Amino acid sequence: MTETTAPIDAATAGGGRSERLPTKVYLYISLTILTAIIIIPLLSTALGGFKTLGELRGNPFGLPANWQWSNYGDILFSQRYWLQMGNSLLIAALTVFLTLSLSAMTAFTFAHVKFFGSGFLLNYFLIGLMFPAATAILPLFIRIRDLGLLDTYWGVVLPQVAFGLGMSVLLFRNFFRNLPSELFDAAFVDGAGYLRFFWSITLPLSRPIIATVGIISFVGSWNSYILPLIMLNSESKYPWPLGIMVYRGEFSTDWQLILAFITLTILPTVIVFFAAQKHIIAGLTAGAVK
Amino acid sequence: MAGLELRNIAKSYGAVSVIEGIDLSVEDGEFVALVGPSGCGKSTILRMVAGLEDISGGDIIIGDRVVNDLTPRERNIAMVFQSYALYPHMTVYKNMAFNLELSGKPKAEIDQRVRQAARMLELEPLLERKPSQLSGGQRQRVAMGRAVVRDPAVFLFDEPLSNLDAKLRVQMRSEIKALHKKVGVTSIYVTHDQVEAMTLSDRVVVLNHGVIQQEGSPMELYRRPANLFVAGFIGSPAMNFFEATIEGNSARTASGLSFAFNAAEAVSDGQQVTIGVRPEHFQAGSGPLSGEVTFVEPTGGQTFVTLDLSGQPTMVLVSSEEDIETGSRLSVTAPLERTYVFDGQSGRRISKN
Repeated sequence: MTETTAPIDAATAGGGRSERLPTKVYLYISLTILTAIIIIPLLSTALGGFKTLGELRGNPFGLPANWQWSNYGDILFSQRYWLQMGNSLLIAALTVFLTLSLSAMTAFTFAHVKFFGSGFLLNYFLIGLMFPAATAILPLFIRIRDLGLLDTYWGVVLPQVAFGLGMSVLLFRNFFRNLPSELFDAAFVDGAGYLRFFWSITLPLSRPIIATVGIISFVGSWNSYILPLIMLNSESKYPWPLGIMVYRGEFSTDWQLILAFITLTILPTVIVFFAAQKHIIAGLTAGAVK
Repeated sequence: MAGLELRNIAKSYGAVSVIEGIDLSVEDGEFVALVGPSGCGKSTILRMVAGLEDISGGDIIIGDRVVNDLTPRERNIAMVFQSYALYPHMTVYKNMAFNLELSGKPKAEIDQRVRQAARMLELEPLLERKPSQLSGGQRQRVAMGRAVVRDPAVFLFDEPLSNLDAKLRVQMRSEIKALHKKVGVTSIYVTHDQVEAMTLSDRVVVLNHGVIQQEGSPMELYRRPANLFVAGFIGSPAMNFFEATIEGNSARTASGLSFAFNAAEAVSDGQQVTIGVRPEHFQAGSGPLSGEVTFVEPTGGQTFVTLDLSGQPTMVLVSSEEDIETGSRLSVTAPLERTYVFDGQSGRRISKN
């Protein structure tokens, strides 16, 4: 039996290899191009920060001849850098915390509690997915001004949370619905109510989706430009994207400093993403394949 | 501990009625199995007793309390689920302690009760493990431990063995039986497997389409099935059935087979009936019923033989001592006292046995 099948297996495997080889080559070529498109600007930004202005003009993409560590050093020792990082972190932390707690509780309700109009209400939430914050900037400004929240962190945080809810609720709800319903029955028989089930069973089992939603809202808040630009006036409250703008205004000819500043602002997001990328991918594909 | 009584309980989803007026009383300490094909309403009944499903009518009484409107916890029941439903992020210990923690028991008491239950179910070495590190049988034992630890009034089992392989199922069956002997708690066991139901329980309740077909001891159901459904459901391999018409004191099939029987009530010539004979009740060797052997399935101790009795495939159980070959002829007798007759219309048994 094995004697007769072995040659056939070898033949089909060989045929498969010669067929698959070009596909793999194309795949790797396109992936390499894609990676280059992302890596080259990032790398040349980071390396540009180590150059003198003259060298940057003459050799924008190569390695620096003399590494100018002071470009980075000056920024890292400036008060402005840390103040803006603090602002960015505070705004992002508040946004992430509010987005996670509100969307998890909302999604739990939609996933487990049947009530009149729940379908309509869920769709209403999802409509939020269709509007980017920029389209509603004028009414938002008026509402935030009326609430007296102009030039406060909350004026940025609350709209960010509101616009993030549509996506987060959807992700959480799909995840919760895929948890086995017998767990709910078992917890109910054990004497847990909805709140206890949410807190003691659902949340501990939802780490991947919490990480996913957390990262999405963190990165969204970290990169947010328009909202802080409209809502914040005092420079002392500026997060990094606005800080870069101001910095560029001040050092408009010193491109090497601007590049160093930009590199330092990107770094935290990259670190966060690498730290949590396993969870992010697990969360985005959760429930897709059993 | 307490008894359980279902009084005329009903369940409907909108206009669709799934359970119609079930009456059932389970005595304190009794082990009752609800058995029936899928969709017969047995799990729904269990979930109604647990309080996981509302009832549309009737009363559920545990001990001497009507519990219709109580939460599962207030009903003081424990349930073992088909998928075990262990909390994946908690250790075995935590899984077992969760209920006691929720009811606010002191730590020392929780610890003592969890360890006692763990000792009884031989779970002690596993207490610090997570469910994912356990085998199927161990998970099943933890699920039972979680139920035992609470000292409930009633145990509810929802097809707890159907996720296990055949060998483990037999082992867990005896463990459940031993557990019931030890703790003696009133138990309701839902299954679609009649062998499980018969081996485990003091009393079997057969359900179909949300209606109780018959209840009684396992052997009572086997010996005196109330109707065609119970006769076909209880017993493995299943009973052979023949459509027939009454002619004097016997029933004759269209193909000419004749069965004598003891009638329990007056029957009239021409009445449509169904004859039932269990494979193990046919006496092989000689007799008026003869046919060609079409299929032989040796199982070791016994051999299942399929006979072609005038065009009707009929299963007969014979001793493995006899060598029977496909294509040979075999004669069998259906003993008078083991021939069942059911009314052709209602399906009710009309023979004495």
